Amino acid sequence: MICENYTNIRKILLFRPHDLRDIMSFHTHKTSIEEGDTLMLYLSPSSLLTITVNSLTKNKHGATVENILQTTQGALKVRNLIGQKYGSRIELSKGSAYALHPTPELWTVTLPHRTQIIYTPDISMILFQLELRPGCIVIESGTGSGSLSHALIRAIKPSGHLYTFDFHEHRASVARSEFQSHGVGDFVTVAHQDVCQNGFGSEVERKADAVFLDLPHPWEAVPHAVNAMKDSGGRLCSFSPCMEQVQRTCEKLRGLGFVEISTLEVLIKEYQVSARTMSVMDLDSINANDNGPNAVWKDPLKIVSCNAPLTLAGHTGYLTVATLPPLLSRVPIDSVNGTNQG
Amino acid sequence: MGRNPAAVVKGSPRKRTTSFDGSFIPVERFVPTCEIRLKWPIPVMLSIVVGKPVWTTYRMEQKKNGKRNYQLKECSIQDLKSDSITLSNPGALSSGTDNRNIVDDGSSQKLSMEEIVNLRDEGLSSKEIVGTLIENSKTFHNKTEYSQQKYLKKKEKKYFEYVTVRKPTVRLIAEIMFRLDQGKIMGLRVDTLSQINTAVNLHSHGKYIVYESGCQGLASASMLNGLSGEGRLVLVHSGNYPQKHALLALNLTEEQENCLISVNIYNLLRKLKGTCGSETQTASVDTTPVKEGVESSDVSFEKEVDSSEVSVKEALSPGQSLENVTDTSETDVKDQVITNSDQESTGSGKRKLSESGNDDGSAKKKSRWEVETDRAAGLLSSQKADGLVLVCREHPSSILNALLPLVAPSRNFVVYNQCREPLLDLFTELMKNPNVINVRLTDTWLRYYQVESNRTHPLVNMTGSGGYLLTGVVVDSGEK
Repeated sequence: MICENYTNIRKILLFRPHDLRDIMSFHTHKTSIEEGDTLMLYLSPSSLLTITVNSLTKNKHGATVENILQTTQGALKVRNLIGQKYGSRIELSKGSAYALHPTPELWTVTLPHRTQIIYTPDISMILFQLELRPGCIVIESGTGSGSLSHALIRAIKPSGHLYTFDFHEHRASVARSEFQSHGVGDFVTVAHQDVCQNGFGSEVERKADAVFLDLPHPWEAVPHAVNAMKDSGGRLCSFSPCMEQVQRTCEKLRGLGFVEISTLEVLIKEYQVSARTMSVMDLDSINANDNGPNAVWKDPLKIVSCNAPLTLAGHTGYLTVATLPPLLSRVPIDSVNGTNQG
Repeated sequence: MGRNPAAVVKGSPRKRTTSFDGSFIPVERFVPTCEIRLKWPIPVMLSIVVGKPVWTTYRMEQKKNGKRNYQLKECSIQDLKSDSITLSNPGALSSGTDNRNIVDDGSSQKLSMEEIVNLRDEGLSSKEIVGTLIENSKTFHNKTEYSQQKYLKKKEKKYFEYVTVRKPTVRLIAEIMFRLDQGKIMGLRVDTLSQINTAVNLHSHGKYIVYESGCQGLASASMLNGLSGEGRLVLVHSGNYPQKHALLALNLTEEQENCLISVNIYNLLRKLKGTCGSETQTASVDTTPVKEGVESSDVSFEKEVDSSEVSVKEALSPGQSLENVTDTSETDVKDQVITNSDQESTGSGKRKLSESGNDDGSAKKKSRWEVETDRAAGLLSSQKADGLVLVCREHPSSILNALLPLVAPSRNFVVYNQCREPLLDLFTELMKNPNVINVRLTDTWLRYYQVESNRTHPLVNMTGSGGYLLTGVVVDSGEK
């Protein structure tokens, strides 16, 4: 415990003063907005923004100016957010908005894309299938845009740790600073490393409870994943958009003694709910003696309709999940490639 | 019988080599003399598994002395490998290229049904039985390799019985419960369950309210599993006791049990409104209507809606009338609490108390539910909750209206229902509520795949629905 606190302090001291206050934003809830906070500005169900509360900003000439944000509901002077309560209504010139706590889910829909990202329905299933809970050590590769990472961190903190790897140096460093500014830097280690080539490193050897792979060649990382996992076994999940990747990965998993190998797909459907009025024709009162077309109507009916969206994501990726049994119960068929035989 | 599973037993023949086709059996009230019933209606003693590590696999073996009398025998990895016909001699069997010469005239198996049953009763090992079946099959050697594998898999499943003892996790428990009887958990499928935890933004240190009825504690188990010692989960229910089946199955640590506060919804709201009189009065007043409400709704539900559930219950306790069925489920719930308090070594005094009702003896000392109600009310009045989850059989609208004011602004709420209609009602209602934004009605679709080289396709059977979720965010608009 003491050791942990000490690292906390060391890291905090390295920051500029406003980052010190910012440190808690994704980690804990607080009542009022302060300078440096990251928050989500909710304008409408389809319009959300992530903003960092900096009263001042630099304009294109490099001069320090008042930070004013243009939104669909009108201009927002960022300084005015300070002191407001989270979840309260912010009046804007053409309407209003709500300032919300950042959550991994809102972050997923607002984050700057550096790669293709994984969305909440898949993320939820990944967390569930990996059996994550506070205290777990989890490995993720690659880091990508950090959409999944935020949710992984939330599931395992405060006592767990996320080791996340990306072979793209810039992506790794941007993710690292993002985690810091989101106040979750203490729960994650970001490494710039090609895990297919070099594995996950000695730091995590036989330490992980769960491994997540989102790689172009996941099967190459599977033997390294076995090395990284605890002797007591653990769960592995691989996300691949293509079936060919899944087939090769499954083959590898079977060969290395994984059991409960299962491939699945999760899709979400969001319904459009609307109240409608439908006109009702009156066909009972037709008379043999009536002339010409004459529409007779009954009282209109009110219904609540629930429509599936016209278009939706019909495919994101296949999730392949598997269990690595404890060392003593493992039966690797693929003894040539088996890497972790005690 | 109380339920206190300490381990999840997975019975499955080729579990170790194929994907996901095992059956799961939760061990009820795990004690060394515990018996389980696997495929045959014959009990098997579980005493052998005590003291063995989890993940150990056992084979069901016929005892020498009698017919259909089985015992468990520990299996080493080598045993398992040599047992499996497909694993021990792959490629050793000759096979055909297609099925043009195979005619299904019912005569391909030379052995009669009686002869096969006799083989089993003679005490032949499962491997020997399957070997004999293959020898006496006219068509087996003409089958394609794939078809042979399928045949073996089927036969292995029928004649081989293995049991692997596993540590219970939320994933396994949710899968077992859904597989055994999804009616009992309102069709709450794993994908939907997983969406609930993310939709409510479950932080390990947060303070959450869950109202649960009709899903055996599964939603609260999954949430509680995501909390650390600092987190709190207020489990609100409408009866005398919450349904804790899944929670007990999780083998909660003491720290986790401390995170859980269960409270009756009437008691909680009464307490928070500050309108309750003396403690004794509350006790005598509240139990009667609550209990009646539960009973009557249960009975009508079973009568009208879920006849399958009734038949299951009747099968479990034959000769009981419908009312008695309800009674058993009531006592069942009571028993769970009794076992729970037994563990906390309060012993027979507690037992008497729950058997004779709540109002007994509460004049002197606060009973447990009163303490819990105080704790919940104290927790929620000092600071509002970080999220609300509703998984209920009742119409969610009134419950949500009552509990939503207890949730802090900028926090999420989730309502699960097996049907879409009550959520549509709720949706239209919430559109008029100025303090709720981002209301969404969703469902998820889940499909499993068979992945084998050259034979990859989605599984033939899938579940039609995993239930519906309504999610939203509580805000403070300044309006009422």
